[in-house]
Amino acid sequence: MLADEGVCQRVDETDPLMANTMENLDSRVHGNNTAVTHKYIPFFGCMISVKYPQFEAAVRKTAPALGIEFVDVKGFTCCPDPIFFKASDKMRWLTIAARNLSLVEDLGLDIVTVCSGCTATLLEAHHLLENEELRAKVNERLKAIDRQYQGTAKVRHLCTVIRDDIGMDKVKESVKNPLEGLRVAIHYGCHLLKPSQVMKVDDPNHPTILEHLIEAVGAEPIEHNEKLLCCGKACMHDEMPKEMVRDIVQSILSMDVDCMGLICPTCFDEYDLGQMLLSRKYNKTFNLPVIYYFQLLGLAQGLSPHDVGLHRHKIKTDKILEKLGVVV
Amino acid sequence: MTEIDFRFKQVVDAIVSADHHSYCMQCAACVGDCPSSKYSDRFNPRQILLMVITGMTEDLLAEGSMIWECTNCYNCFERCPQDVRPVEVIIALKNLATQRKHNPDKVDQMVQAVQMTGRTTLSTSAVNRIRGELGLAEVEEPPVEELRKIF
Repeated sequence: MLADEGVCQRVDETDPLMANTMENLDSRVHGNNTAVTHKYIPFFGCMISVKYPQFEAAVRKTAPALGIEFVDVKGFTCCPDPIFFKASDKMRWLTIAARNLSLVEDLGLDIVTVCSGCTATLLEAHHLLENEELRAKVNERLKAIDRQYQGTAKVRHLCTVIRDDIGMDKVKESVKNPLEGLRVAIHYGCHLLKPSQVMKVDDPNHPTILEHLIEAVGAEPIEHNEKLLCCGKACMHDEMPKEMVRDIVQSILSMDVDCMGLICPTCFDEYDLGQMLLSRKYNKTFNLPVIYYFQLLGLAQGLSPHDVGLHRHKIKTDKILEKLGVVV
Repeated sequence: MTEIDFRFKQVVDAIVSADHHSYCMQCAACVGDCPSSKYSDRFNPRQILLMVITGMTEDLLAEGSMIWECTNCYNCFERCPQDVRPVEVIIALKNLATQRKHNPDKVDQMVQAVQMTGRTTLSTSAVNRIRGELGLAEVEEPPVEELRKIF
């Protein structure tokens, strides 16, 4: 297990010796290693840890080569979901988000997210709770479980952490097998970038962060007309989301690409499992493999397709691996 | 005779981040980049805002309302020159519709899943087996008892 290999730590935040442990971690890590290690608390969320654990595996396995160390914290729940759960009751959504954030406030480490939905919820909650009146209302509710939200926890998506803390150069250094010639169609999804005043990741009209990340692994990012179109997952309608996905997939396929690269597990659901449903509806095979960025990074770092869980995808990724000369 | 109810604004005002609805000047910048507007034959954020301001929200809060067609893409939030945050107003309407039990089943399912298990997606023994094959530890059981107290 990764925890046994010392790749990540299981830290119990209720343990009074925890502060001591954090100091020990520091000295152990910097021992005879000249590289700087950045420590973060990972928040994997529901979809990735339960439905698409291959994404968690890819993230955990590619992190060490980037100088990232994950310090796991117990007690997180669903972020909660910014679509269906928030639609039922905003105050309840905000309170549960505040609870998640309050768990890490005394630990002195930033939270890193890998799901756009979790990022949206936690960042927006942090932003809303800057308002004292609202914070007081939420803290009133949190009293019932003996917790208080102070607002000191900082949250960022792993892509932003890589760009701002780790550096693209470190990503390039970690690459053993550059994915040369791989044409990857970009899909940003909506929640990583918007609302931009809260998310502060990139310009939502002309984003480049994913392109740089894909270039860093030696692959070629391909733009297409519907690069910024929503996947439609949140739209509760029988036909509309399928039509959006169809248009995005067709837009991508018109560009002669090898696969679609994305960073959101919900989008992945729409384009991988969703592509099968789309095929049934339109009686057409699209055959567009869909990959989560950190799986691409994993392949570039020399991990096997099985290590990053490509075998778990509904749309087979064989032709990408063939092109890259990777043995399955 | 159509009844306008300007008091409805106060109801929406009380909901988190929905209180900028009256800044709306009906410019329709929100409609231009709205994917739901493009793909639906009835969804229109500008119209929704007008109905909120005038309190003509019977249809919006009824079963099968168009508000559930919103993709939550936040384009309207980005485009609005008045900081109305149309998507947040729409989510506020979803809150009100849910109070009246006029929400789609999917919302209830997600809420119940979080209440019962702490997650939106059910964890099973198969999940832990798959995680094990990928070299991951088993998923943690979320503290559901504590979570329920703030439900």
